[in-house]
Amino acid sequence: MTQRTVAGSFYRFLTIVSICLACVTAQAQNTDNNYVKNNFVKREVYIPMRDGVRLYTVIYMPKDSNLAYPFLMERTPYSAGPYKTEYARQIGPNLSLQKSNYIFVYQDVRGRYLSEGNFKEVTPHDPTRKGFDESTDCYDTIEWLLANIKNNNGRVGLYGISYPGFYASASMPSAHPAIKAVSPQAPVTDEFIGDDVNHNGAFFLLDNFSFSNYFDVPRKGPVEDYEGSVYNAQFRDAYTFFLNLGPLKNTLKPEYFGKTNGIFKEYLQHDTYDEYWKSRNIRPHLKDIKPAVLVTGGWFDAEDLFGALETYRAIEKQNPKNTNRLVMGPWTHGAWARGNWNQYATHQFGQNTSKYFQDSLETPFFNYYLKDSGTMSIPEAVVFETGSNTWRKYDQWPPADVSVRNYYLGADGRLTNTAPDANAFREYISDPSKPVPYTGMISPRRNNDYLAEDQRFAAQRPDVLVFETDELKEDLTISGKIIADLNVSTTGTDGDFIVKLIDVLPDNEPTLSPNPQMINMSGLQRLVRAEVMRGKFRNSFEKPEAFVPGKPTRVRFELPDAAHRFKKGHRIMIQLQSSWFPLVDRNPQKFMRIPDAEAKDYQKATIRIYGNSKIELPYIATGY
Amino acid sequence: MLYSYLAHMKQLLLLLQLMLALTTATQAQNELDSAYIRENYYKIERMIPMRDGVKLFTAIYIPKDKSEKHPILLNRTPYSVGPYGEDRFRPYWHSYQRLYFRENYIMVAQDVRGRYMSEGVFEDVRPFNPNKKSNTDIDEASDSYDTIDWLVKNIEGNNNRVGVFGISYPGFYSTMAALSGHPSLIAASPQAPVTEWFIGDDFHHNGAFMLLDAFSFYKQFGIPRPVPVKQYIGGYEIKGDDNYGFYLRTGALKNFATLIGDSVTFWKDLYAHPNYDAFWKARNARANVAGIKPAMLIVGGLFDAEDCFGAWRLYEAIEEKNPKTSFNKIVMGPWSHGQWSNSNGATHMGNAKFGQRTSDWYQNTIEVPFFNYHLKGKGDLSKLSEATIFLSGKNEWKTYESWPPADAKDRELFLQPGGGLGWTKPTAASSYSQYVSDPAHPVPYTEAVHMDRTAEYMTDDQRFASRRPDVLTFETPVLTEDLTVTGTVIADLKLILSTTDADLVVKIIDVFPDNYQDAGNKYPMGGYQMLVRGEIMRGKYRNSYENPQPFKPGKMDQVKFELPDISHCFKKGHKLMVQVQSSWFPLADRNPQQFMNIYEANDKDFVPSTIQLYHDAKNSSGIILPILDNR
Repeated sequence: MTQRTVAGSFYRFLTIVSICLACVTAQAQNTDNNYVKNNFVKREVYIPMRDGVRLYTVIYMPKDSNLAYPFLMERTPYSAGPYKTEYARQIGPNLSLQKSNYIFVYQDVRGRYLSEGNFKEVTPHDPTRKGFDESTDCYDTIEWLLANIKNNNGRVGLYGISYPGFYASASMPSAHPAIKAVSPQAPVTDEFIGDDVNHNGAFFLLDNFSFSNYFDVPRKGPVEDYEGSVYNAQFRDAYTFFLNLGPLKNTLKPEYFGKTNGIFKEYLQHDTYDEYWKSRNIRPHLKDIKPAVLVTGGWFDAEDLFGALETYRAIEKQNPKNTNRLVMGPWTHGAWARGNWNQYATHQFGQNTSKYFQDSLETPFFNYYLKDSGTMSIPEAVVFETGSNTWRKYDQWPPADVSVRNYYLGADGRLTNTAPDANAFREYISDPSKPVPYTGMISPRRNNDYLAEDQRFAAQRPDVLVFETDELKEDLTISGKIIADLNVSTTGTDGDFIVKLIDVLPDNEPTLSPNPQMINMSGLQRLVRAEVMRGKFRNSFEKPEAFVPGKPTRVRFELPDAAHRFKKGHRIMIQLQSSWFPLVDRNPQKFMRIPDAEAKDYQKATIRIYGNSKIELPYIATGY
Repeated sequence: MLYSYLAHMKQLLLLLQLMLALTTATQAQNELDSAYIRENYYKIERMIPMRDGVKLFTAIYIPKDKSEKHPILLNRTPYSVGPYGEDRFRPYWHSYQRLYFRENYIMVAQDVRGRYMSEGVFEDVRPFNPNKKSNTDIDEASDSYDTIDWLVKNIEGNNNRVGVFGISYPGFYSTMAALSGHPSLIAASPQAPVTEWFIGDDFHHNGAFMLLDAFSFYKQFGIPRPVPVKQYIGGYEIKGDDNYGFYLRTGALKNFATLIGDSVTFWKDLYAHPNYDAFWKARNARANVAGIKPAMLIVGGLFDAEDCFGAWRLYEAIEEKNPKTSFNKIVMGPWSHGQWSNSNGATHMGNAKFGQRTSDWYQNTIEVPFFNYHLKGKGDLSKLSEATIFLSGKNEWKTYESWPPADAKDRELFLQPGGGLGWTKPTAASSYSQYVSDPAHPVPYTEAVHMDRTAEYMTDDQRFASRRPDVLTFETPVLTEDLTVTGTVIADLKLILSTTDADLVVKIIDVFPDNYQDAGNKYPMGGYQMLVRGEIMRGKYRNSYENPQPFKPGKMDQVKFELPDISHCFKKGHKLMVQVQSSWFPLADRNPQQFMNIYEANDKDFVPSTIQLYHDAKNSSGIILPILDNR
């Protein structure tokens, strides 16, 4: 939830936290710096909510006042600025919509930047409708807009990426009837199970420690900009920094988050799937949805891949009659909003995938539902298949003809379709003082390429198990959810299990051209999908359970969906490990509240993976 | 792959710009020299007869200048003196050797016996024969003698003064020439000389087989040649571009023998002589240096992955066996193999920066004056010290009257419980650190995926290794003053193995401060763990290279061995780190960790070993550092 490239203070954040991303993946920009100023009139207003709190709202109205326009709104915690006389360089979700006659609205959500009130992490939805939440704030905003902004056509669309994606989702329960189209994009959806903060109960240390440094800066009242940061630590090498930092609780030392009563502290207070997290899960409330929905996400989104897939699923399941569509592209977090996206890590897509999304999916979607313009030909699911680099169109997701194909983790290191000896096992020692790095790169920030990075740096370690098929004799395509079904034992009482699905390229794979990172493609072990499971949550996220040392135990969990073709001559590889550092905090491997763990609690464990462990791949026969 | 993406791109750009600028300047100089050499020299090719009738192919570049007599500078090589043909010049103008053409040397290059266009049978590091009885008793010294003799007698205009020089294998031939005793051979400069192939150069270090270099070299170098050829064709080709993957998949050494085939003589010799037997002893170039006559200039690189040992130890042997030899000097710079001959200045090695153009300085200040003085009677060498050694870390050339410096004092840095390093012996009653060495997952010697062994691994960031559970790390607190280490480092380990053999790799590392800045280098240098010296010891040779001995599982043992000399200043604010591991792959072959002839081991013989490295009051481990008072 760290990216949205608007001008103003968010740039400061970008500059400090992810200068690298800003350079590499800048949003498409108007070539004419004055386009917005020349074509829109900007107005800034405080819109009163039902409880009297006023939300700061920036409105860009087309100068031509002869027509009636729909509203297209983004609600954000990252600033609705630039404020006052300054105009944004670009407005709206994409350049073609900017030119399509909309009234664009940006609003600082309650408690952020210039809005009044108090901010809450992923505001819990209040189905009783007695108080206020993001649904009512959105409702009240729309009421005001319809009444006060001239030349509107009575329809409203909402969109947003990441945290703003959550606000788009949150507008849908009991939505204002004027809301006709909503596009939650990489929406923050469930921060304990799969988005941003935790994956299957494992804490995403690197991202949250960095993100909260800016997001947790307190304000005394409405501000145009937040001052400073929570901590001043500078580090060049995240692995070393976090390892030296020690137990998770040390993040709460006074020099870090100890003195701030912020959200980071809340994360650590709630180490199980308790009311705090459940009340923030918007999925149960996505019922009786009226607007048309276009859920968008990226296969290489390190933050909210889960949110996109599971928001789509929840709406689909709970609103069988609603118009709900899914677009999944080969994108990192928000990359579909960039000007050009034709490659990622060592993938070269041979096409500008973000332009396709913007011009052929996003713009037609809003134009159709908000302006009755054009026809609607977007299918239920538009999914980019990596490996074959092809857009696929399906009338449901996952496709109807997907079947489960089991791949067993054989004790001989082979990945086979037939169950080997269930009593045979492979073992490794997981040592929390030498956690497996999540990347081979030394960097202070999350390596944005890690989701397709060569995993040879990991395969070479003794604490990473590798299982692989023979060379494939024909292409093999997967589409849908991946399940890890492990039979494990550990000498400890807790443990993490990271499963990585990898496409092994052949020895004769040609070198990239150009090849600025000097990557060796021959035999490259390219990550397709990976997920962590904090073992104690294997049966329940609410009620963690200890492992009995040495006792074979089933650990079954889901990995986010993938759409990937393993080509003939490649191999399918599974890697299994028990740390993924510092992406994920270390598990002490001792059953306990991890935020309470002392240094001495972190202990080595010997982990066995039995031969009847398997990975269930969503196999799809391809007829083309 | 341990680099930041953007950082790396910027670094590349900078490098490109720099290279472009340098190339332009160098190119201009090269063109000038090319024209000069072609105008002022002519080339002849001769088959020079040896005492046994075998003729060696020799290319001779002769100055047209007849105003004075000129000295001869000879290079004997197994790597070809080509291009062949009297009208085709070797592009000396790309090399610093153009400097000798400017000085009107007669430049001679010879294919050694049995290589390329020379007749006879090649033998790798052919043993020196101290008791030659007849004209059929030949060796590289006699071939050098006969060549020198022919040259001074047959090349017009020579001043009867000959020098010989060469890098690496030609360094070995330089040593052998120096042993020839020919009275016209006045000066010799063995550079990174192949000296001892079982203990420390190229293909073995302390008995561990340097698999990556050996296999990649011999699969082509070892191709048999029944008759003289201008080019060797064929040899095994490795598919793919990932040496770690290839060497691990290939497995036991037996399997490499299958790949390379049975026509490579020396490959079979390697397998036939797993221990330090008479075969290897006969090939120790140090054995016969007593009575060496020419003035000697030994040159080597502190970061030479191939023959760092040879340079240090040849110098040392000549000193020991010729206490009265008037001229035996050593120069060691911050160089990879042969980097002192580079025209790019050798300003850095990987991420280690030296702040100056070290190769040009050496060429102009040391080597050319050395030969000029001895062969032309030109200039003055009185200021050339006994030892001219670059002090990395401080990035200064230092001169000494002896090497190691007389005032360097050995001091032991003890491994401490909890990963510390300190000057006092640990006091714990019982304390050890433990790891499991698994031959199925050997520790890589460098992190990048690649095929050809890198030169830069010698200064690589070792963080990729620190992060592994099978690598132990020990480090000092932040140094409060500079720590200068000059000389041979000794590792002294007390350990218990769970099996009967294991390798011990000890790495001496300079840990840069977290806030270290290196303008122009965008590699994350803060916290950089710079390898200063790494060495491997095959455990079974701990007491004798001749008679390997198994470990007793579960029983305390000692492994004490030398690391090649270092000359490095660990600066105030840095830390000194020691890493211990039991594989270094595929640089060194894997130890099956069971006592056996490894060349006969099967894949199934490779088993994990649990290694307990002790650091307590009774059994302390440490590294003994020759420390120089800060001057």
